[in-house]
Amino acid sequence: MRHATDYKSELKPIWCPGCGDFGVVQAFYRALCAVGRPAHEIAFVSGIGCSSRIPGYTSAYGFNSVHGRALPIAQGIKLANPELQVLVAGGDGDGFSIGGGHLPHAIRRNIDLTYVVMDNQVYGLTKGQLSPTSPLGRKTPTSTYGSLEEPVNPLLYVLAYGCGFVAQGTPADMAGLSALIEEAIRYPGFAFVNVQSPCISFGDPELQLRAHKSRMRPLAALAHDPAQRLPAMALAQDYGRELHTGVFYRNPEPPPTLETRVRERQRELAPGALPPERILQLFGGR
Amino acid sequence: MVTDLVIGMAGAGGDGVVSAGESLIGAGAAQGYHGIMTKSFGSQILGGESSCRVRLSVATVPNPGGPLDLAVAFNWDDFLRFGAELPVDGRSVVIYDSGSGVSPERLPIVGLSPRQALAAPIADLSRASAGSERSKNAVVLGFLSTWLGLDKEAMLGGLRKRLSKKGPEVFEAGRRAFEAGVQFAERNPLARDLRLEAPGGPPGTLWLADGNEMCAAAAILAGCRFFSGYPITPSTEIMQFLSRELWKYDGAVLQAEDEIAGIGAALGASFAGRKALTATSGPGMSLMAEVLGLATVAELPVVVVNVQRGGPSTGIPTKAEQSDLFQACFSAHGDVVRPVLAPTRVSDTLPVTIEAFNIAERYQTPVVLLSDQELAQRKETLEPVDPGLFKVEERRRPTPTELQDYRRFRATEDGISPISHPGLPRGNYLAAGIEHNEHGDPTASGLVHARMNEKRIHKLEPLKRRRGLFRTLGDPEAPLALLSWGSCAGICEEALQKAHTEGLCVKLLVPRLLYPVAEDVYRDFLRGAQAGLVVEQSHQGQLFRLLRMFVDLPAGITSFARSGAHPIQPAEVVAGLREAALALQRVHALTLQPQE
Repeated sequence: MRHATDYKSELKPIWCPGCGDFGVVQAFYRALCAVGRPAHEIAFVSGIGCSSRIPGYTSAYGFNSVHGRALPIAQGIKLANPELQVLVAGGDGDGFSIGGGHLPHAIRRNIDLTYVVMDNQVYGLTKGQLSPTSPLGRKTPTSTYGSLEEPVNPLLYVLAYGCGFVAQGTPADMAGLSALIEEAIRYPGFAFVNVQSPCISFGDPELQLRAHKSRMRPLAALAHDPAQRLPAMALAQDYGRELHTGVFYRNPEPPPTLETRVRERQRELAPGALPPERILQLFGGR
Repeated sequence: MVTDLVIGMAGAGGDGVVSAGESLIGAGAAQGYHGIMTKSFGSQILGGESSCRVRLSVATVPNPGGPLDLAVAFNWDDFLRFGAELPVDGRSVVIYDSGSGVSPERLPIVGLSPRQALAAPIADLSRASAGSERSKNAVVLGFLSTWLGLDKEAMLGGLRKRLSKKGPEVFEAGRRAFEAGVQFAERNPLARDLRLEAPGGPPGTLWLADGNEMCAAAAILAGCRFFSGYPITPSTEIMQFLSRELWKYDGAVLQAEDEIAGIGAALGASFAGRKALTATSGPGMSLMAEVLGLATVAELPVVVVNVQRGGPSTGIPTKAEQSDLFQACFSAHGDVVRPVLAPTRVSDTLPVTIEAFNIAERYQTPVVLLSDQELAQRKETLEPVDPGLFKVEERRRPTPTELQDYRRFRATEDGISPISHPGLPRGNYLAAGIEHNEHGDPTASGLVHARMNEKRIHKLEPLKRRRGLFRTLGDPEAPLALLSWGSCAGICEEALQKAHTEGLCVKLLVPRLLYPVAEDVYRDFLRGAQAGLVVEQSHQGQLFRLLRMFVDLPAGITSFARSGAHPIQPAEVVAGLREAALALQRVHALTLQPQE
C-alpha cells in the first residue's frame, strides 16, 4: 500500500508561505499515489521558475532543466523509454512565453505526457514582472504604466492545437485538483492541466486562494460534456474572466500515441532489432 | 598513362553533373580505383549551378586533389562560377560544349592556356542519340570511359542504377547517349594520355561512402538509439540516413521543431539511459548553446555533430569552412570544458564518431564532433572495415552497494560518478542545470560550486593523454612543422609528401581531439621545430589562436589560413613551407655574420 508521502522528497520548498504551488505539489502526491506507480518509474521534468522547482520536492527521478525546454526534454525521455510515467510542470512564462513554441508540437505529436502549468499571471522568481497571461493594463516593474498587450489564453490555445485532454484546476479545491491530475496521468496521450496557482507575493491580492474558493465554477455544474471540443472552446473563451474548473475536453477516442507508432514502425521494418554491425553492409558491394 | 587523376565538371542544375560524378566514382571504385568525389552547389533549390570533382588513383588519396587534369564545362557561365574550386592549369585538358560557340583559342579562362581545349558537341550528341539534351551527362560519361580507360560495363552499371528507376526507356536513351560519347572519344583522342594504370587492389572490394552517412552509420555502431534534430544544410543527410535506418535497430528519430528542441529531446533520451545524437550546422549550433551547458552541468552524455559551413550567420550554407572551432569550444556561459573532436576524412569519420560516443558516455559529457561540408558531402572509397575492431563503451552504472546510499554526483577520484536512469530502483535523483551537491540537491554555496566545477573539468584530463587521438607524420626531429585539422589535414598530408620530395624536412601533427587542448602533445611535437604553419580554412586561423592560448608556440610557427569556399591546395602549403625554410636560413645567416 502506497502513501501520498512516499512521493515527497526531503527538500524543503523555497516557495513563499501562502504560495499556491504548495497545494499543487500536495495534489501531485495524492494523484501519484492514486495512480500507484513506484517513484523510480516516474520522470518529472520542469524548466525554470518558482513552479519549476517542483520535481525536486517529489521522490521521483527529476529533471529541473533550463527555461522553457521542459517539453522537448520530456519527449526525449518518453520516446527513449515508453515504460516510464513522464510528468512535466512549469509556470506560465516557461510554458507560454519562452517555451511557447514547443507546446503545439508536443500536442500534435501526442506523446503520453502529463503537462501541468502553474499559471499565476506573473513572473515570481524574478520578483513580479509581466507574464504572457498577465491581463491587459496590469502594472508591474516591466509594465510601469500598465500592460499594453492582450494575454495568451492557454486553454483556447491548447484546444485549438488539438490537445486530447484539457483541464483547469485550483489548489483551493485540493480534492478536485488531485483528481484532475490523476485523470490527466491516466489519459493515454498528451494531457494538459492549467492550474490557477496564485502568487502570494506579486499576484493580484484580489485573486488569492480564498477568492478562488468563492469564484470557482465547476464545469460539471454547467452540464458541460467534455467529449465535445467546440463547447469546450466556447467555455475556454472565459479564461481571465471566469474560473472554470474541471475537464474542458477529453477525447473520447484517444488516437495512438507517438511511442506506439514508433514501436509499430520499428517492428514493421525489422521484426527483431538488427545487429549494429549490419549497418556497415550499406557501404560495400555497390 | 597516369596513376592519379582529377576530373572536374560543372553545369546547370538539370545537366546531371553530380550524378555523372557519382557514376564515375562508382565505376572507378568497382574496378578497384581509390577515389574522392566532392560536390559543390550554388544556393538555389533547383536549377542552379552545380559541380563535382572526382579524383581517381591507383592508391589511396588523402584529399580531392589540386588543379584539374580534365575539366568538363557543360556551359561556361556555370563553370566559371566555381572559380578556384575548379582550377585549370597548363596541364589541363578542357572539354566544353561546342554549342557555346567559344573558340578553343579564346577560352573565357583569361590568362591561362591549358594543354588542350576541345569543343565537343555534347548537346548535339545527346539530342541525336537520345532525342533530348537530358542525356548530356551520359555522353560525357562515354567520353570519360574512353579517355580514362574505364570499364564500359562498370560505367553503364552506374547509369543503369540511376536511370532504371525512371523506366527502362530512360535507361535505354542514356545507354545510346553513352555509346555516342564513346564513339566521339574514340575518334578524338586527347593530347594527353589520361588513361589510368591498372588499380592496386582487386576489383569489387572497396567501399564507397560520404562523411554524413558514415557518421550516421558510426552512431548506430556506437550504440546510438535516439536522434532528434532539425534539418539544416549541410548536415541534413545524417538525419535522413537515420530516418531510413535507425528504426531497424530499435531506435527512434524525431524531427524537432527547432534545434533547441533537437538537442533537448536528445538530452532527455540520454537522461532516460539511451545514447543520443543530434546533428546540425553553425546556426543550429548557436541555438543549442544553452542546452549544451545544461548537459555539462547535469553531466549527461550527448553527441552533437556540427557539419560546418561558411559563417557567420547564414553565411555560405553550401560550402565548407572551419570557422566554428571557437564556437564548439567556447559557446557557453560559465566555466565549461567540453570535448571537441574532428575527423579528417570519410574513413576516419567512423572511428572518430564512435570515439565521440565513447567519450560522451565514459566522461558523462556533451561532445561536439566538428565535420564540414566538404568532408560530409564528399564520397570516398575506403577499404572494408571490420566492425569487431571497435570498442563500444557504456556509461558507468551504480553498483547495488552504491545504490544503498546513491549520490548521483558523488566525489570520486576520477571525477566520474555512477549514473542511474529513471526506471532503476533506488537511483532516483534530480538532474538540474542549477548548481547542486553530491546528491543533486540545489545549492548556492560557493564552496560546493568550486568543487563541482573542478570535478566537471578535472574528469576530462585523461583525454589529453590519449595519444591515439593525434596523428603524426614525418621525421619527429624535423625543424619544419605543419599542424592541421579536419578536412584540411588531407591537404597537408599531400603537402608533406611533396615537401619531402623537394628536400624540405617537415613533420605533421593532426589532432582529432581539439579541445581540451592537449598541451603536452603539442609541446612534444614542437620540440626542435623552428618554423612551420598551422593550416586551416578560417579567416582568423582559429586553431592557431586556440593553441596560442594553451601552448608556447615557437616564434616561427605562423598561421596559414583563409576563409572557406576557396579550398587550400597542397602546392600552396608547400610554397609556404619553402618560404619558412628560407626565412630560417636567413636567420641562420644573420647569426653567423659576427664571426666573419
